[in-house]
Amino acid sequence: MRLFKTLLLGTALTLGAMPALAKETVIWWDFLSGGDGVRMKALIDGFNKEHPDIQIQGTTLEWGVPFYTKVRTASAVGEGPDVMTYHLSRAPLGLEENVLSEITNEDLATAELKRSDFFEAPIDAATKDGKLYAVPFDIHALILYYNADLLEGSPYLDANGKLTGINSIEDFDAALAWAKEKGVETPVTYQTGGEGGVWRVFYTLLSQQGGEFVTNGEVLSGDNAEKAAKAIDIMSKWRENGWAPEQAEYEASVALFSAGKSAFQLNGVWEVPTFKDLEKSGKLGFKWGAVEVPALLGKRATWADSHAFAIPNEGDKTISGEKRAAVMTVIGWMEKHAIGWADAGHIPAYKAVTTSDEYKAMEPNATYASLAEAAVFDPKTTITGVASPAYDAALNIIAPAIQGYMSGADAVEQIKADLQDKLQ
Amino acid sequence: MAMIENRKKKSLIALTMVAPFIVVFSTFFLYPMIEMIRMSFTDAPLVGEGNWVGVDNYIRLIGDRLFVTSLKNNGYFVLLTVVPTTVIALLIALAVSRLKGVAQTLALSLFFLPYVLPVSVVTEIWAWMLDLQFGILQPLIALVSGKPVAVFKNPYWVMPMVALVTIWWTNGFNVLLFIAGLRNIPQELYEAAALDGATRFQRFRRVTWPLLWPVTALVLTLQLILQLKIFDQIYLLSGGGPFNSSYVLLLKVYREAFQMNHGGYASAVATVLFMLIAVVSVLQYQLLRIRRGA
Repeated sequence: MRLFKTLLLGTALTLGAMPALAKETVIWWDFLSGGDGVRMKALIDGFNKEHPDIQIQGTTLEWGVPFYTKVRTASAVGEGPDVMTYHLSRAPLGLEENVLSEITNEDLATAELKRSDFFEAPIDAATKDGKLYAVPFDIHALILYYNADLLEGSPYLDANGKLTGINSIEDFDAALAWAKEKGVETPVTYQTGGEGGVWRVFYTLLSQQGGEFVTNGEVLSGDNAEKAAKAIDIMSKWRENGWAPEQAEYEASVALFSAGKSAFQLNGVWEVPTFKDLEKSGKLGFKWGAVEVPALLGKRATWADSHAFAIPNEGDKTISGEKRAAVMTVIGWMEKHAIGWADAGHIPAYKAVTTSDEYKAMEPNATYASLAEAAVFDPKTTITGVASPAYDAALNIIAPAIQGYMSGADAVEQIKADLQDKLQ
Repeated sequence: MAMIENRKKKSLIALTMVAPFIVVFSTFFLYPMIEMIRMSFTDAPLVGEGNWVGVDNYIRLIGDRLFVTSLKNNGYFVLLTVVPTTVIALLIALAVSRLKGVAQTLALSLFFLPYVLPVSVVTEIWAWMLDLQFGILQPLIALVSGKPVAVFKNPYWVMPMVALVTIWWTNGFNVLLFIAGLRNIPQELYEAAALDGATRFQRFRRVTWPLLWPVTALVLTLQLILQLKIFDQIYLLSGGGPFNSSYVLLLKVYREAFQMNHGGYASAVATVLFMLIAVVSVLQYQLLRIRRGA
């Protein structure tokens, strides 16, 4: 009994002493692994060092459906994190599920941020009915990597060794044909056997024709169907001519480029650190660059998405008061230190960082930063975005179509059939 | 009086002994099952309550092209696996039972080893072996079809290949069941048959086969239930593609519930699958028992 009393007293004392330390712990969930993860952890460490009163306790979970499912179920029972990363392409579903807590102007003020501090496209993607539901952290998009050594002697390099003269699909095809003739094994590489790579290239080619994936609740209606078919047919032709790899998994598609077997690569900005690091250690063996995907089909456009910070809606347990202020302090700090995130290839959504001299000195990041204006996000629907039915359709229908199982037009018919009734 | 008291006492003891099971069964099976059926009549999201919509979900199911496709694919997969896996297990068991001592133990563990592996490891092994660019089995495939094939991305190859992986993975357990069955057959019967001049085939046909039939019926039924529940391998190897040619019912449940947030509709699909398994397995088991009786 005495022991029990002592314990009780001890506990009470400890609890009483807690506020004196006044330490806020911010529970943080993200899905960032690989190079992204390393850089994000460095940012978190940096924040923790500067703020003895606020400590971020980070957990990295599995990317994609598992992450979003966990967030959904955890917040439903009030066991979610205080702050989490969220793909803005996934925001429409998050809003339907009521998972995202509104970021008020007051919240933004706590973080010393304003909406006008950010690029418009990601802010728009995070907004519904004028209310903001996430704070964008970056824009990450599809870009065109090139191997300058392989292109030497072609009309596609200028005197400084920069890519030039690709202004239409004919130019690009000619460049691919030129490379093939010169003995380049796979002139253009991208992930042809997986959902992400296929979707990004397809969506870019569709958007460059001014096509839209969903209009007024209809999947590929009107002439969007023909535009989508054309996009798929272009990708099929690349494969047929031996210009693009057959059924390449993601890692293989990157390896083709880094091994010098491809003159071009269509991939996200997040692979920039890979080639930078290889180059630094002297293992790359060729000069390379990266640019915004040229306007091949008339219009400047490139697939893009955005990582953002969001606060889960947890009913009565949705964080408020000091905890919320601490979270907003974290978000504000991250935005202002986004240069460490730009290092991962991403374009910071916070304009002050992107226009800084430090960012402008980063190559090739500064070269492709122009794409922030041409960035096209997935439509705001519940069937598109990361780990969505549209991604499934890319794997299930578009990828095999590219391999020659089906024409572009037939594939489009099947996409419409598969996705239309999910749009309710 | 004493008798009645005694009986009461006995029931009480019995009840305490079955109580843990009843509690666990009700909490983790009965209650979720009732909830699932109830939810299938609502438009509930993944978490939370929905509105009562009656049989709407079921009516929608009938018109759902993907549901019909998955039903067919489930059927195709059952055809591809249930009987072949049973036959292969029987053949392996017969061969292994002829071995003695260490050799038998070794052979048994070799066949049982894959069963120990988690599904993610199994699928990873096979995905690598069958990789289009680097897979060590591709030359073998090229021998058959003339060129390397990305098997999990090919509408014709995908189901048979998933079936192959599944059989390789799960066969050890069936072999074990058959071995146990074979050991239960009294040796005297074989001796008597041999004395009567029965050939090896006759001994199998008249002694082994009939006495092994209960085990065979069990294996067939277990396999049927297991293979109707196919999910992991499909999810990891092909994601239901290409062109939905490996889309199965459980994948539909998963996608509707966790990806699309349609809890009610997913429950309807799950309920249909549950009924299907219950009906088909009971039916099959009864049919197999009739055969034994005949």
